[in-house]
Amino acid sequence: MKKTLFAAALFAATAVGAVAPAFAAPVNYKIDPAHTAVAFIVNHVGFSNVIGRFNTVGGDVTFDKDAVEKSVVTVTIDTTSVDTNHAKRDEHLRSPDFFNAKEFPKMTFKSTKIEKTGDKTGKLFGDLTLLGVTKPVVLDVTFNKDGVSPASKLETAGFSARGTVKRTEFGMKYGAPAIGDDIQLLIEVEAVKS
Amino acid sequence: MSELLQDPFVQSSVLPLLVGVILVGILHLLRRSLAAAGIAAGFLVVFALVIGLPALPPPSSMGKLFWASAAGLLLGVAADVVGVRGRVASAVLAVWLAASLLWIALPALDSAAAVVTLIILLGTAVWVAFARGSDESASPMAPASSLLALALAVGGTALIGSSASIAQMALALAASAGGFLLWNWPVERHGWGLSGQAATGIAVLLAAVLALFTQTQAAVLLLALPALLAGCARRFLPQGNGRIGRALSAAAVTVVAVLPALVAIGAAFALTGGEASPY
Repeated sequence: MKKTLFAAALFAATAVGAVAPAFAAPVNYKIDPAHTAVAFIVNHVGFSNVIGRFNTVGGDVTFDKDAVEKSVVTVTIDTTSVDTNHAKRDEHLRSPDFFNAKEFPKMTFKSTKIEKTGDKTGKLFGDLTLLGVTKPVVLDVTFNKDGVSPASKLETAGFSARGTVKRTEFGMKYGAPAIGDDIQLLIEVEAVKS
Repeated sequence: MSELLQDPFVQSSVLPLLVGVILVGILHLLRRSLAAAGIAAGFLVVFALVIGLPALPPPSSMGKLFWASAAGLLLGVAADVVGVRGRVASAVLAVWLAASLLWIALPALDSAAAVVTLIILLGTAVWVAFARGSDESASPMAPASSLLALALAVGGTALIGSSASIAQMALALAASAGGFLLWNWPVERHGWGLSGQAATGIAVLLAAVLALFTQTQAAVLLLALPALLAGCARRFLPQGNGRIGRALSAAAVTVVAVLPALVAIGAAFALTGGEASPY
């Protein structure tokens, strides 16, 4: 998912001439887990909003600067890595009530389309598979920066993405709507050329 | 009213108790020998109301639990209508329960511990199927009390272990069994039959989902197994005379059956450091 956003960001950048080498070939990128975060916000009975994250995220991007629409992004999130800073709640989140992590240990995203909305923004369309159910989702993506990282000395690109999904559409119905149905996603990604 | 039905306490106690009482009552009027089927039917109704009707084929263990339970109910009713009894009935029940357990457990058999858990569950299934005949004329108080206790143990352990849906459904099964017990207290009016035994099998299936798909300390459920000996315990309890005496004797059977369940729940509570889903 994040890499698709990355692809969208690069698409936007290409469009404004930020990175626009002619006849560029498809390039493979890999998500850097050390500098990537997939977080979520869910309402808790109207009292507050719980913030959580997934600690294990991976994925690959094949980005074609000449034909961005042909870029392919796949992201896999380990549902057992859900972390809300409360061990008992995380245990509950891994149970059949929510992520059912024993039966569905992975959540996957595969991009289907990218649309440019601004110089450094775009919309990322893709299919999210959760609990064995696949539904289309749309994320708003912002390209942040690319270039050689002064830390790793590797070609790196970064972007941010935001979006909302309805968990009940994936069959995750426990506690809804008291425990919010709308899940806000906050995604921050760095990806390195592989 | 709708808000009341959204309350987890109502969903797992008052609602299934009422549904159980009503369904057992309807079956009592239609065909008395099938009254025990009201327990499993009540469980399924509450499952559909609270969690929703699972898809077919079911994608998850909870969906499999529902449809396996529905199959058990149909099997029990069919067997009781036809009049299948004794060893044949027990064998039929054992096959259904073993097949259901394997169906549910298959995706979770990724470790030696999971295989051992399945073997224990299969052993319990055989015990449930063969320990007591399916003679529908037999007294229902002891097996219904065993079912209530086992479901209570699964529900309590699941609640402590942060598996709310399983907890709610197990407590709903216990409450539905409670509805049946109310119909048979102080005077025992119904048989147990294969329909009743199938309901006990549902408690085993719930235990399987809890043990195999959550991080709950499900091993404590072994402490609740003596609840299946309620029928034996009844023989050692004083049998009262008169209406009040018989009522007290019947109540004593239920209390004796529930004691191991309380021990199991207490052990689960102790193993979690006394923290019962405080989030």
